[in-house]
Amino acid sequence: MTQYVIIGDGISGSSAAETLREEDPDAKITVITDEGEPLYNRILIKEHAKGKLPEAPISIHDEDWYQEREIDLSLNTHVTSVDTDAKVVNTHDSGEIPYDKLLVATGGTPTQLPVENSDADGIHHFWTFEDARGIREHAENADKGVIVGAGLLGIDFAAVCGAQGIEAEYLMRGDRWWRYALSGDGAEIMHEGMREVGVEPVFDSGVDHFETDDDGHVTAAVDPNGDRYECDFVGAAIGLNFNTEFLRGSGIERDNGIVVDEHMQTNVDDVYAAGDLTRFYDVLLGEQAQNGSWGSAKEQGRVAAVNMAADEEAEGFQWVSSYSITHFDFPFLSFGHPTLGDEHAERRYSDTEWRRIAFKDGRIVGGVLIGDLSPQSKFKQLMREQRVVADQADVLLEQSVDLDDLAAPQEQ
Amino acid sequence: MNMAASERRRRSVRIEHADARLEQVESVAASATVRHVDQLDTETLAAVYRAVSEDRPVSTAATDLEPGEILVFTDYYRVARV
Repeated sequence: MTQYVIIGDGISGSSAAETLREEDPDAKITVITDEGEPLYNRILIKEHAKGKLPEAPISIHDEDWYQEREIDLSLNTHVTSVDTDAKVVNTHDSGEIPYDKLLVATGGTPTQLPVENSDADGIHHFWTFEDARGIREHAENADKGVIVGAGLLGIDFAAVCGAQGIEAEYLMRGDRWWRYALSGDGAEIMHEGMREVGVEPVFDSGVDHFETDDDGHVTAAVDPNGDRYECDFVGAAIGLNFNTEFLRGSGIERDNGIVVDEHMQTNVDDVYAAGDLTRFYDVLLGEQAQNGSWGSAKEQGRVAAVNMAADEEAEGFQWVSSYSITHFDFPFLSFGHPTLGDEHAERRYSDTEWRRIAFKDGRIVGGVLIGDLSPQSKFKQLMREQRVVADQADVLLEQSVDLDDLAAPQEQ
Repeated sequence: MNMAASERRRRSVRIEHADARLEQVESVAASATVRHVDQLDTETLAAVYRAVSEDRPVSTAATDLEPGEILVFTDYYRVARV
């Protein structure tokens, strides 16, 4: 009987557990998580923090789900190290857990701002359900907010402030939100969305330090220009540190995450990784990449499990990811790798509609759609087909995209 | 091929399968099943976007939508049978 151990019960770990049970009905499967509750919907916790969604619909699995599948679930269990020679996982209070095949799916932890008083009360990071509960509770009683981190995670804090009636300033280091993927035209639509919910973007700013009262509660953020922003609520989202510390000495290759091939295999025999923390070989991009979307993590977990159960490279990971922002009146969707590529095309259609496509070697590798999502399935199709289309960007930037207007693919 | 007949057939098929609408909801019960649009496959997302932006019905058979579930998009929508 094969013994599988999965570290992490997020969507990738849970997807792997489910797939392993299907692929290997007699196996022993153990899922270890340091969280106190089984799988929940990490995409929806921001809706809970906004005060719009109760807790119950956010839970995905209860403990019965694991029992019914004869999967051992260890909650509140910290893995301290992995001995890949002895094939043993060491935990803080559950002893050694032996494995035949191991999946690491431990995700990340929000990066703390490296500034004075960044651990003050009232300064929040946002990753777990427990974080969301705390943010919601505090946000319901807060008046003035500051948000730091001009990316996809930071904007959730803007939405929380907007929904909870907190007047907030969004301090950004550059001249716009998500400057790695959006031009000024695209970003301005997002800035206007923020303003409409009561969040004012502040550019060429950031945080130099926080001020606190005698009780250690945040009272203000001071930016590098010396400007002071009073606040009793702070949302900081400047990035993730991947949870790989316990792998020190294991021989598993890490490079700001765990390096895996398209089969989710690490460089160490019988050790796989899946989810946010992988630096995986993206067959569509032709290089190592990272992705934090729900669908990508779920699929990586499934592919890893298929290969673990097959004990061979049975299936490769090939996926075009999507990440949506649904906080405003207009939709926003990024797909693939919008911050990468060697060529870009973009167009603004109205005050709420904008589109940008990223190409690499003439092929679509990602993009951002604001306001009008109608071409998303066509762009994803072209990306999957790896079709060279950059020289026909005008067709792709038409308001209504018709793939029949593209020249027939050349033999490549 | 008779293009007019073909087009009529396509329309007929679409109407036949469009068995649900997306109804905006203001609140969500604790017992509700809720999904975010990022959990939908590409074609279901396209159908949801068309339904919302063009006020059109959707087919639960041609998508992975479940009647009664709530979708989180730019608003909250219930998949309601018509």
